[in-house]
Amino acid sequence: MSEFFDFLGRRYDDLIEVGLEHMYLVGISVLLSTAIGVFIGVTTYRTERPREIALAVTGSFLTIPSFALFILMIPIMGIGAPPVIVALTMYGLLPVVRNTITGLREVDQATVESAKGMGMGRTQRLVRIELPLAWPVIVTGVRVTALVLVGIAAVGAIVDGPGYGTFIFDGLARVGSPAAINLVVSGMLGVIVVAILFDTLLAVLGKLTTSRGIQ
Amino acid sequence: MTSSAAPGAPDLAAAPQAPIAPVRRERRSVGSYVFMPIFLALVCAGLYLYVSNQELDTIEQRALNAGNITAALLEHLRLTAISTVLVILIAIPLGVLLTRPFTGSYRGVLLTLANIGQAVPTIGLLALMGVGALSFIDIDIGVTAAIIALVAYAVLPVLRNTMVGLQQVDESILEAGRGMGIGKFGVLSRIELPLSVPIILAGVRTALVINVGTATLAAYINAGGLGRIIVAGLSTNRITVQITGALLTAVLALLIDYLAGIAEDVLRPKGL
Repeated sequence: MSEFFDFLGRRYDDLIEVGLEHMYLVGISVLLSTAIGVFIGVTTYRTERPREIALAVTGSFLTIPSFALFILMIPIMGIGAPPVIVALTMYGLLPVVRNTITGLREVDQATVESAKGMGMGRTQRLVRIELPLAWPVIVTGVRVTALVLVGIAAVGAIVDGPGYGTFIFDGLARVGSPAAINLVVSGMLGVIVVAILFDTLLAVLGKLTTSRGIQ
Repeated sequence: MTSSAAPGAPDLAAAPQAPIAPVRRERRSVGSYVFMPIFLALVCAGLYLYVSNQELDTIEQRALNAGNITAALLEHLRLTAISTVLVILIAIPLGVLLTRPFTGSYRGVLLTLANIGQAVPTIGLLALMGVGALSFIDIDIGVTAAIIALVAYAVLPVLRNTMVGLQQVDESILEAGRGMGIGKFGVLSRIELPLSVPIILAGVRTALVINVGTATLAAYINAGGLGRIIVAGLSTNRITVQITGALLTAVLALLIDYLAGIAEDVLRPKGL
């Protein structure tokens, strides 16, 4: 055990730097997933067919094993951070799309009706009434996305993506040496810490961005 | 670690159950049943044409012959099947146990742990099992290590859905059952479990998809599976081999999820 703490002490700078890379990678992907996912949700929630297709397609993204998707990105995007960000963004879509659709559909129709009565147009109703009311549900989806992506990002080390995955795969490459288990465990703990940080951050952000009337 | 986990724990616990709750679906259209198999068949056909039109060198031939691919596929299916069956055998009884009144005090703690557990990266768990097994026990038990890692991770969605499924059964229905003179076990087996089947099945399907995906990574701890074709392609720097392995893996995962979706529809008790 003390050996492990020695290891953490020795690699402290590394661990912090890799952690920041991991957060950066996941942060960008979560932003992209949220932007694209909310857009897809907003454009499809009213009609049944497009809604079903949006859920089915983003659902199948999440079914594709991450190892396979990262590899399939290589011919198109090369290696490093870009293929990882694209793959992560694809994985992050479903929770956002699903919660956007659910949230918007749960908005009380009477409220929307009265907004209409006040002379609000289609876009105005969406931006000023429906989206703010659906926002807590959407934020919940974004938190799920972040948790999912933090874990999958670790696999991105296969295509030379940055982050704690590099520690895990370094450990795997050194099976048998005492460093192996230290590398793997510190990589795992790193991922969990990043997951907790993201979840806490998003919970706070969600509170701050939720309209005060519905808190 | 425990100290840094503590402040985040309630948040993770409060984190939504959204990804696992079953999508209330209206009757599926014929198109959605037919599309996926046709799409997957086209992908396979395209892959076959692409590979058979390539000049393969000896390394590529060794990785991409029918025998090797079939063997890898069977290894993959075996890993997935064994771990999923174990998950069902462990998680459903445990879920039943944890929703009985006498286990009430452990329930919250366990659900919190289960939620935090999902933040553990699958590859980390797999690597830990592999590194542990390979360096301490000094024999090659890759498959066993892989199965333990797969089960440990995939137990969570089934356990959680079993508990959520049993708890959402309307108390008044249970009361009616008891009033009709049905015993505790009868209420469980004839009312509670059938009513929670859709939610439990959704959890099993999630576990199945997780297992198919994680089994791909099992190649890194010598446990075989389709992942070893990709790994072989990576270590010899053959892009054709990598792409073939990756596409086959993706097709298998989508196919299994598709079949699980049909099973979900078929196994749902009539009347629900």
